[in-house]
Amino acid sequence: MGRPVARAAMSRPSRRRTPSRLFAFRADLPRRTSAAIAIGSSLTMLALWELAVRAGWVNGTFLPPPSIVLATLWRMVQDQHLLWHAGISTLRVWGAFTLAVVLAVPIGMLMGGFRSIGAALEPMVDFIRYLPVPALVPLSIIWFGVGEDTKIFLLWLGTFFQLVLLVADDMRRVPQDYVDIAYTLGARPAQMLTDVAFRAMLPSLFDNLRVTLGWCWTYLIIAEIVAADSGLGFVIWAARRYMNTAEVMAGVVTIGLIGLVTDQLLRRLHKRLFRYL
Amino acid sequence: MAAPYLVFDGIAKRFGGLDVVAPTFDLAIRRNEFVVFLGPSGCGKTTLMRMAGGLDTPSAGRITVDGEPTGRPDRDRGMVCQSYSAFPWLTVAQNVAFGMRYRFDLSPARKRERLDHYLQLVGLADFADTYPNRVSGGMRQRVAIARTLAAGSEILLMDEPFGALDALRREGLQLELRRIQQHDAKTIIFVTHDVEEAVFLADRIIVFSKRPARNLHEIDVGALLGPERTIELRDSETFFRLRTEILRLVRASAGDEP
Repeated sequence: MGRPVARAAMSRPSRRRTPSRLFAFRADLPRRTSAAIAIGSSLTMLALWELAVRAGWVNGTFLPPPSIVLATLWRMVQDQHLLWHAGISTLRVWGAFTLAVVLAVPIGMLMGGFRSIGAALEPMVDFIRYLPVPALVPLSIIWFGVGEDTKIFLLWLGTFFQLVLLVADDMRRVPQDYVDIAYTLGARPAQMLTDVAFRAMLPSLFDNLRVTLGWCWTYLIIAEIVAADSGLGFVIWAARRYMNTAEVMAGVVTIGLIGLVTDQLLRRLHKRLFRYL
Repeated sequence: MAAPYLVFDGIAKRFGGLDVVAPTFDLAIRRNEFVVFLGPSGCGKTTLMRMAGGLDTPSAGRITVDGEPTGRPDRDRGMVCQSYSAFPWLTVAQNVAFGMRYRFDLSPARKRERLDHYLQLVGLADFADTYPNRVSGGMRQRVAIARTLAAGSEILLMDEPFGALDALRREGLQLELRRIQQHDAKTIIFVTHDVEEAVFLADRIIVFSKRPARNLHEIDVGALLGPERTIELRDSETFFRLRTEILRLVRASAGDEP
């Protein structure tokens, strides 16, 4: 007789714990629940947006509902080579980004690893970092004209100087113990840098690359608005001229989608590469 | 008495206008001797150990090994630090193998042999392919010790390596370390502020003052306890008396009476 009572008493707290888990500070959330919440909230937002236009609360000319944006997006893929424009933009971003990474990683590592190099470069980098990229557009056009060079240069400008400081900080955060250990195991300074310091900073470096890649897209639009006859920035800017809000928004959504997919892929890659964390 | 091997000769260290090591510090360590630096936290004993490793430079004086001045850090003076310094991106076996990464004199076959040997020695053979984040703190510290041993350093510099471990693992590692030191004939400087650990491990204890570091007392533990250290020794009358006596010296030196 006593047993069932005890069991009932024990099962009660677990039943009560389930709903409160949602709002318990830092509590674990099952993957499925988390995904369901994410999708649910996104769909709710879209539904509200759709409703707002259909109910006439906002003017559809200025804020087309998601259904129209989506339809426009599909039409642009079929009739206006939207995917080709997206491809061009992606290539520009990755080209400039690669150039920025290839230069920023070694320079940043040296800046973070050697006080003298840090002292020599930091003021310059910090100065240029705070220059808004759009302010340099005229200069860039004078130097490189209106071709691909200008776009790559502007993108590179926007990412390189930010990245180099982030890399330098990653390097500074490598635990001194790892460095000391490497030396007492017989590593020469160059070997310590490549075999230990670089490996130690790799996970946070990867994260910083993921974040700066996002910034690259910001500058891309500026570059493509200024002078281009291709790319998503061009598409958006051309649609604006005819007040075609739906096409403008379709262009913006495309960028958002590319960003979302890239970010998720890079996050997965991070998990795979750094399983040991 | 054997010839001095690792010698601190007239060492002083100033940093930021303050003495870290009081001028002058002199100490001669024999080959295969296990010397424990005992003193309050932050007294400068770690700085002295790091100088021996070439990771810090004295403001005055010099450190010699076999009469030769020590220069930049190298494989002859291996170090184990207080933090769990096993490289997280390498497996246990890769970590230990990293100790031999710059041993270009060893053939790959010989390296594999040594790897197996040191994994066995520290009892980690079953965890060879595990990443450090999956093993306990004690195991991670054993990885670091095996890595330094695999490098083949004659001299081991150990900075409170067992500081963050629970009592039981600590005792196990102390026994292992003492056995390795006897078996492989290593010369060890071991920094700690734990009196019992110092007595159990040391051939000789140097008791330090609080900062700036000065060697206040030297206790020849080896003469009293002999080279063989067992768990039973811990419960012995001699051990107990020695521990109490040194604890009193440490207390007095924390008050800094010369």
